[in-house]
Amino acid sequence: MNGAPRVRNAAGTHHDEDLVNLEPMVRRVVGARVKDPHAVDDLVQETLARVVAARSRIEADSLPQYAAVTARNLVASMATRSIRARERSHLLVDDPEDEDAPVADVLLREERHIVMTALAKLPDADRLLLLAHEVEGQDTATIASGNGSTPGAVAARLFRARANLRVEYLFAAEQLEPPTDRCRPVLRAISSADRRRQQDLDAAGHLLRCTTCARLRALLGARRGEQDEEGVVRVPVARDADVVLARQKAREVAAEVGFSATDMTLVATAISEVTRNIVKFAERGEVVLTLIRHEHRQGIHVVARDVGPGIEDPEEAMRDGFSTCQGFGLGLPGAKRLMDHFELTSNAGEGTTVTMEKWLP
Amino acid sequence: MKIDEGPSRARAPVPASILSQGTNLIVSIHTALDDEQLMLLQRDLLDRVGRQRAKGILIDVAALDVLDSFAIRTLADLAYMAQLRGAETVVVGISPEVAMAMVRLAVEMPLMRTALDLEEGLQCLTS
Ligand SMILES: [Zn+2]
Repeated sequence: MNGAPRVRNAAGTHHDEDLVNLEPMVRRVVGARVKDPHAVDDLVQETLARVVAARSRIEADSLPQYAAVTARNLVASMATRSIRARERSHLLVDDPEDEDAPVADVLLREERHIVMTALAKLPDADRLLLLAHEVEGQDTATIASGNGSTPGAVAARLFRARANLRVEYLFAAEQLEPPTDRCRPVLRAISSADRRRQQDLDAAGHLLRCTTCARLRALLGARRGEQDEEGVVRVPVARDADVVLARQKAREVAAEVGFSATDMTLVATAISEVTRNIVKFAERGEVVLTLIRHEHRQGIHVVARDVGPGIEDPEEAMRDGFSTCQGFGLGLPGAKRLMDHFELTSNAGEGTTVTMEKWLP
Repeated sequence: MKIDEGPSRARAPVPASILSQGTNLIVSIHTALDDEQLMLLQRDLLDRVGRQRAKGILIDVAALDVLDSFAIRTLADLAYMAQLRGAETVVVGISPEVAMAMVRLAVEMPLMRTALDLEEGLQCLTS
């Protein structure tokens, strides 16, 4: 508080003149950033309304500056809202319904900051494309004609750019830095649902090793439910109870395929055997259950993988009677007899992956 | 399998009920059990054999979703240890599906007697 004379809202109407003088400047600020004339009008009116509301708190001579800042912020928040409206799932924060509420205001400001940080981390090409499409409202055909591309190619690039933005958004929102060089590519491949790229990068293996990526992946999938990809069920495994959960989930998937009660029990038993090894020997792992089709046949595909010490001699582990120092066998030969296909790969010091399949007769 | 000896990891009691009937313990398991719960049940039953001077243990496993190598071994170990303490164990309620899986697993079950259901199991123990 200082002693300078303050302009008060209640003082009268002569200040409306200030607003009239401000309008062209505000329009210039908004017009330089937004192409859609209706949106420009809305933003100009909104800016002036906020200036009026704030006038009692602001020195008269800093009004133009305040108006310019408000206009820029509103443009940025419109960008946020418009990106949200176009693909609501990717920002992962619920829309504040009442934009006038003070809490919503704070959320919006934080949100804007996060989005801006995320945008800044994007490759230039992604950022420019997103801004052209989402903020300036250019359609894919316009963008394509501008750079000698096709609308289809632009749409594909937009899809990837949004997927990349989701990843950067999460890093910014969670205030995390990717701990390895692998993290960004892995998360981007997951965010864009690019299965081939995920496979090339061994995304599943990385997620088991990297807690940061595991956490962000959960957030990426948070809105998509447990079955993130169609027909794929993932069960994280770390404790005894997870073994029971894995075999129950397997039963559900097997029931969907139409397996008999006997075959469901065989599958559940095999999963119990291989999943127990994750709990017993590895730090953590996961069981991934997938419906499979080949020609007219259907079946269930099971991957049980872990980050652990690995098995030094996989061939020996597959022999009946092989047992570890704990006194129990690994249950692997038994599991193999229960399934139609069984494959064990293990690298000492890295982890073990068991892949199994069971087909409907 | 991780069994904590100390009180550091309290967890819900094993979902199974144990009834004393004469010199027999009649155990019915209510839901699928994980390895830790199976071990807790095994230990509890062995304690009771001593405390309650039980001569027979009848375990109904119909509610278990699978009998994998660990579950089978835990039950077999229970039967062996109980026998050393003078009690006989009979397992009942193995469904046809679970039986099929056990055969394929080819886990041996030494010393463990089985019967179709509770009634036959009780006959085994009294005969
Ligand atoms: Zn990572």
